[in-house]
Amino acid sequence: MAQSPADTRDSAGWTEEVLPTRLTAIRESERKVLARLAALGYGEDHCFAVRLAFEEALINAMKHGNRMDPSRQVRLAYRVSPERVEIRVADEGAGFRSDCVPDPTVDENLQRPCGRGVMLMRSYMDEVTYSANGAEVCMVKYRANPVRGFPESGRRC
Amino acid sequence: MKVQVRQEGSCQVVSIQGSADVGASAALRDAFLRAVDAGATRIVCDLSKTDFICSDALGVLITAYLKAHGRGGFVRLANPQKRLRELLATTRLDHLFDVHPDVASAVKNA
Repeated sequence: MAQSPADTRDSAGWTEEVLPTRLTAIRESERKVLARLAALGYGEDHCFAVRLAFEEALINAMKHGNRMDPSRQVRLAYRVSPERVEIRVADEGAGFRSDCVPDPTVDENLQRPCGRGVMLMRSYMDEVTYSANGAEVCMVKYRANPVRGFPESGRRC
Repeated sequence: MKVQVRQEGSCQVVSIQGSADVGASAALRDAFLRAVDAGATRIVCDLSKTDFICSDALGVLITAYLKAHGRGGFVRLANPQKRLRELLATTRLDHLFDVHPDVASAVKNA
Protein backbone atom coordinates (compact mmCIF):
# COMPACT_ATOMS: atom_id res chain seq x y z
CA MET A 1 0.00 0.00 0.00
CA ALA A 2 1.37 3.39 -0.95
CA GLN A 3 1.89 5.72 1.98
CA SER A 4 1.37 9.46 1.88
CA PRO A 5 4.51 11.59 2.20
CA ALA A 6 3.52 12.45 5.76
CA ASP A 7 3.59 8.76 6.83
CA THR A 8 6.52 7.26 8.66
CA ARG A 9 6.81 3.87 10.31
CA ASP A 10 9.62 3.42 12.80
CA SER A 11 11.49 0.29 13.74
CA ALA A 12 9.18 -0.28 16.72
CA GLY A 13 6.19 -0.54 14.41
CA TRP A 14 4.65 2.86 15.05
CA THR A 15 3.11 4.67 12.12
CA GLU A 16 3.18 8.41 12.46
CA GLU A 17 1.08 10.86 10.50
CA VAL A 18 0.56 14.59 10.62
CA LEU A 19 -3.02 15.52 9.83
CA PRO A 20 -4.41 18.90 8.91
CA THR A 21 -7.17 20.22 11.15
CA ARG A 22 -9.95 19.06 8.85
CA LEU A 23 -12.56 16.52 9.91
CA THR A 24 -12.63 14.93 6.47
CA ALA A 25 -8.95 14.04 6.89
CA ILE A 26 -9.83 11.52 9.61
CA ARG A 27 -11.40 8.92 7.35
CA GLU A 28 -8.27 7.98 5.37
CA SER A 29 -6.19 7.42 8.52
CA GLU A 30 -9.05 5.48 10.06
CA ARG A 31 -9.24 3.28 7.00
CA LYS A 32 -5.55 2.40 7.32
CA VAL A 33 -5.82 1.57 11.03
CA LEU A 34 -8.86 -0.65 10.48
CA ALA A 35 -7.11 -2.39 7.59
CA ARG A 36 -4.32 -3.33 10.00
CA LEU A 37 -6.82 -4.75 12.48
CA ALA A 38 -8.55 -6.70 9.72
CA ALA A 39 -5.23 -8.08 8.47
CA LEU A 40 -4.49 -9.39 11.96
CA GLY A 41 -7.92 -10.94 12.31
CA TYR A 42 -9.36 -8.72 15.01
CA GLY A 43 -13.08 -9.23 15.56
CA GLU A 44 -15.84 -6.82 14.63
CA ASP A 45 -16.43 -5.73 18.21
CA HIS A 46 -12.81 -4.68 18.63
CA CYS A 47 -12.84 -2.94 15.25
CA PHE A 48 -15.97 -1.03 16.28
CA ALA A 49 -14.41 -0.01 19.60
CA VAL A 50 -11.12 1.13 18.07
CA ARG A 51 -12.90 2.98 15.28
CA LEU A 52 -15.12 4.81 17.73
CA ALA A 53 -12.27 5.81 20.06
CA PHE A 54 -10.04 6.75 17.12
CA GLU A 55 -12.68 9.09 15.68
CA GLU A 56 -13.50 10.62 19.04
CA ALA A 57 -9.84 11.33 19.82
CA LEU A 58 -9.27 13.01 16.47
CA ILE A 59 -12.55 14.94 16.57
CA ASN A 60 -11.64 16.23 20.04
CA ALA A 61 -8.13 17.17 18.91
CA MET A 62 -9.41 19.13 15.92
CA LYS A 63 -12.55 20.68 17.39
CA HIS A 64 -11.64 21.33 21.01
CA GLY A 65 -7.84 21.26 20.89
CA ASN A 66 -7.07 23.07 17.67
CA ARG A 67 -10.47 24.78 17.58
CA MET A 68 -10.67 23.96 13.86
CA ASP A 69 -7.80 26.37 13.19
CA PRO A 70 -6.47 25.26 9.76
CA SER A 71 -2.99 26.55 10.63
CA ARG A 72 -2.73 23.92 13.39
CA GLN A 73 -2.01 20.23 12.93
CA VAL A 74 -2.72 16.97 14.70
CA ARG A 75 0.00 14.42 15.28
CA LEU A 76 -1.24 10.85 15.11
CA ALA A 77 0.70 7.68 15.92
CA TYR A 78 -0.60 4.13 15.97
CA ARG A 79 0.75 0.64 16.35
CA VAL A 80 -1.25 -2.52 15.78
CA SER A 81 0.11 -5.85 16.94
CA PRO A 82 -1.59 -9.22 17.33
CA GLU A 83 -2.01 -8.44 21.04
CA ARG A 84 -2.99 -4.79 21.22
CA VAL A 85 -3.87 -1.59 19.41
CA GLU A 86 -2.13 1.60 20.58
CA ILE A 87 -3.08 5.08 19.44
CA ARG A 88 -1.62 8.47 20.33
CA VAL A 89 -3.20 11.76 19.29
CA ALA A 90 -1.69 15.17 20.02
CA ASP A 91 -3.07 18.58 19.13
CA GLU A 92 -1.62 22.06 19.25
CA GLY A 93 -4.17 23.51 21.61
CA ALA A 94 -3.84 24.72 25.17
CA GLY A 95 -4.91 21.36 26.58
CA PHE A 96 -7.61 20.57 29.10
CA ARG A 97 -8.26 18.60 32.26
CA SER A 98 -9.98 15.38 31.31
CA ASP A 99 -11.22 14.92 34.87
CA CYS A 100 -13.15 18.21 34.58
CA VAL A 101 -15.28 17.15 31.61
CA PRO A 102 -18.94 17.02 32.69
CA ASP A 103 -20.39 13.54 32.84
CA PRO A 104 -22.61 13.30 29.73
CA THR A 105 -24.55 10.36 31.15
CA VAL A 106 -26.21 12.17 34.04
CA ASP A 107 -29.79 13.22 33.46
CA GLU A 108 -29.12 16.97 33.26
CA ASN A 109 -26.57 16.45 30.46
CA LEU A 110 -28.39 13.88 28.33
CA GLN A 111 -29.80 16.56 26.01
CA ARG A 112 -26.41 18.12 25.32
CA PRO A 113 -25.51 17.46 21.66
CA CYS A 114 -21.79 17.22 22.43
CA GLY A 115 -19.37 16.23 25.19
CA ARG A 116 -19.41 12.44 24.83
CA GLY A 117 -16.01 11.87 23.23
CA VAL A 118 -13.88 11.37 26.33
CA MET A 119 -16.47 9.13 27.96
CA LEU A 120 -16.72 6.95 24.84
CA MET A 121 -12.94 6.62 24.60
CA ARG A 122 -12.76 5.55 28.24
CA SER A 123 -15.67 3.15 27.79
CA TYR A 124 -14.43 1.38 24.67
CA MET A 125 -10.65 1.32 25.21
CA ASP A 126 -8.81 -0.47 28.02
CA GLU A 127 -6.39 2.36 28.81
CA VAL A 128 -6.83 6.08 28.17
CA THR A 129 -4.20 8.46 29.54
CA TYR A 130 -3.63 12.13 28.95
CA SER A 131 -0.44 14.14 29.05
CA ALA A 132 -0.02 16.59 31.88
CA ASN A 133 -1.61 19.46 29.97
CA GLY A 134 -4.20 17.24 28.25
CA ALA A 135 -3.10 18.02 24.70
CA GLU A 136 -2.05 14.42 24.00
CA VAL A 137 -4.03 11.25 24.61
CA CYS A 138 -2.73 7.68 24.53
CA MET A 139 -5.16 4.78 24.21
CA VAL A 140 -4.73 1.02 24.27
CA LYS A 141 -7.16 -1.77 23.42
CA TYR A 142 -6.05 -5.30 24.25
CA ARG A 143 -7.21 -8.11 22.05
CA ALA A 144 -7.66 -10.42 25.02
CA ASN A 145 -10.12 -8.06 26.68
CA PRO A 146 -13.72 -8.10 25.51
CA VAL A 147 -15.29 -4.85 24.47
CA ARG A 148 -17.48 -3.39 27.19
CA GLY A 149 -21.02 -4.59 27.04
CA PHE A 150 -20.74 -7.31 24.49
CA PRO A 151 -18.62 -10.45 24.45
CA GLU A 152 -16.52 -10.98 21.37
CA SER A 153 -18.78 -12.39 18.69
CA GLY A 154 -15.96 -14.10 16.85
CA ARG A 155 -16.86 -12.49 13.52
CA ARG A 156 -13.95 -10.87 11.75
CA CYS A 157 -13.95 -7.38 10.33
CA MET B 1 -23.56 6.37 4.33
CA LYS B 2 -26.88 6.68 2.59
CA VAL B 3 -29.84 8.55 4.08
CA GLN B 4 -33.36 8.04 2.83
CA VAL B 5 -36.44 9.91 4.04
CA ARG B 6 -39.96 8.63 3.52
CA GLN B 7 -43.40 9.26 4.92
CA GLU B 8 -44.99 6.44 6.89
CA GLY B 9 -48.29 7.17 8.56
CA SER B 10 -47.93 10.51 10.30
CA CYS B 11 -44.17 10.11 10.65
CA GLN B 12 -41.13 10.99 8.61
CA VAL B 13 -38.88 7.94 8.61
CA VAL B 14 -35.20 8.70 8.22
CA SER B 15 -33.23 5.57 7.33
CA ILE B 16 -29.48 5.58 7.81
CA GLN B 17 -27.67 2.95 5.81
CA GLY B 18 -23.98 2.32 6.56
CA SER B 19 -21.72 4.32 8.84
CA ALA B 20 -22.76 7.61 10.40
CA ASP B 21 -19.15 8.59 10.98
CA VAL B 22 -17.53 11.99 11.24
CA GLY B 23 -17.32 12.28 7.46
CA ALA B 24 -21.03 11.66 7.12
CA SER B 25 -22.48 13.70 9.96
CA ALA B 26 -22.88 16.83 7.80
CA ALA B 27 -25.10 14.94 5.36
CA LEU B 28 -27.03 13.48 8.28
CA ARG B 29 -27.48 16.94 9.77
CA ASP B 30 -28.78 18.23 6.43
CA ALA B 31 -31.29 15.39 6.16
CA PHE B 32 -32.70 15.92 9.65
CA LEU B 33 -32.74 19.70 9.37
CA ARG B 34 -34.56 19.48 6.04
CA ALA B 35 -37.18 17.26 7.63
CA VAL B 36 -37.57 19.49 10.69
CA ASP B 37 -37.54 22.72 8.68
CA ALA B 38 -40.22 21.24 6.42
CA GLY B 39 -42.42 20.98 9.49
CA ALA B 40 -41.88 17.37 10.49
CA THR B 41 -42.26 16.90 14.22
CA ARG B 42 -42.77 13.13 14.30
CA ILE B 43 -39.56 11.54 13.17
CA VAL B 44 -38.53 7.90 13.30
CA CYS B 45 -34.88 7.12 12.71
CA ASP B 46 -34.50 3.66 11.22
CA LEU B 47 -31.15 2.27 12.44
CA SER B 48 -31.63 -1.29 11.21
CA LYS B 49 -28.90 -0.86 8.59
CA THR B 50 -26.63 1.48 10.55
CA ASP B 51 -23.35 -0.19 11.48
CA PHE B 52 -21.58 2.72 13.16
CA ILE B 53 -22.40 6.06 14.71
CA CYS B 54 -19.95 8.59 16.14
CA SER B 55 -20.64 11.19 18.81
CA ASP B 56 -20.93 13.88 16.15
CA ALA B 57 -23.82 11.98 14.55
CA LEU B 58 -25.36 11.32 17.97
CA GLY B 59 -25.30 15.09 18.40
CA VAL B 60 -27.29 15.45 15.19
CA LEU B 61 -29.95 13.07 16.54
CA ILE B 62 -30.12 14.99 19.81
CA THR B 63 -30.44 18.34 18.02
CA ALA B 64 -33.28 16.93 15.92
CA TYR B 65 -34.88 15.55 19.08
CA LEU B 66 -34.74 18.97 20.76
CA LYS B 67 -36.24 20.72 17.74
CA ALA B 68 -39.01 18.16 17.32
CA HIS B 69 -39.71 17.97 21.04
CA GLY B 70 -39.90 21.76 21.24
CA ARG B 71 -42.75 21.61 18.74
CA GLY B 72 -44.59 18.88 20.57
CA GLY B 73 -43.16 16.06 18.50
CA PHE B 74 -40.53 13.38 18.90
CA VAL B 75 -37.59 11.53 17.43
CA ARG B 76 -37.84 7.79 17.98
CA LEU B 77 -35.16 5.24 17.18
CA ALA B 78 -36.05 1.98 15.49
CA ASN B 79 -34.21 -1.33 15.42
CA PRO B 80 -30.64 -0.42 16.40
CA GLN B 81 -28.35 -3.41 16.04
CA LYS B 82 -26.27 -4.90 18.85
CA ARG B 83 -23.34 -2.48 18.86
CA LEU B 84 -25.57 0.55 18.52
CA ARG B 85 -27.82 -0.69 21.30
CA GLU B 86 -24.75 -0.99 23.48
CA LEU B 87 -23.61 2.50 22.46
CA LEU B 88 -27.01 3.92 23.35
CA ALA B 89 -26.85 2.17 26.72
CA THR B 90 -23.29 3.33 27.37
CA THR B 91 -24.22 6.95 26.67
CA ARG B 92 -27.59 6.49 28.41
CA LEU B 93 -29.22 7.99 25.35
CA ASP B 94 -31.65 5.10 25.53
CA HIS B 95 -33.11 7.12 28.42
CA LEU B 96 -33.56 10.16 26.17
CA PHE B 97 -34.87 8.47 23.03
CA ASP B 98 -37.70 6.00 22.80
CA VAL B 99 -36.11 2.94 21.23
CA HIS B 100 -38.38 0.58 19.31
CA PRO B 101 -37.71 -2.89 17.91
CA ASP B 102 -38.87 -1.88 14.44
CA VAL B 103 -40.22 1.02 12.40
CA ALA B 104 -43.79 -0.24 12.54
CA SER B 105 -43.93 -0.09 16.33
CA ALA B 106 -42.20 3.30 16.35
CA VAL B 107 -44.78 4.71 13.95
CA LYS B 108 -47.69 3.10 15.79
CA ASN B 109 -49.62 5.43 18.10
CA ALA B 110 -47.74 8.42 16.76
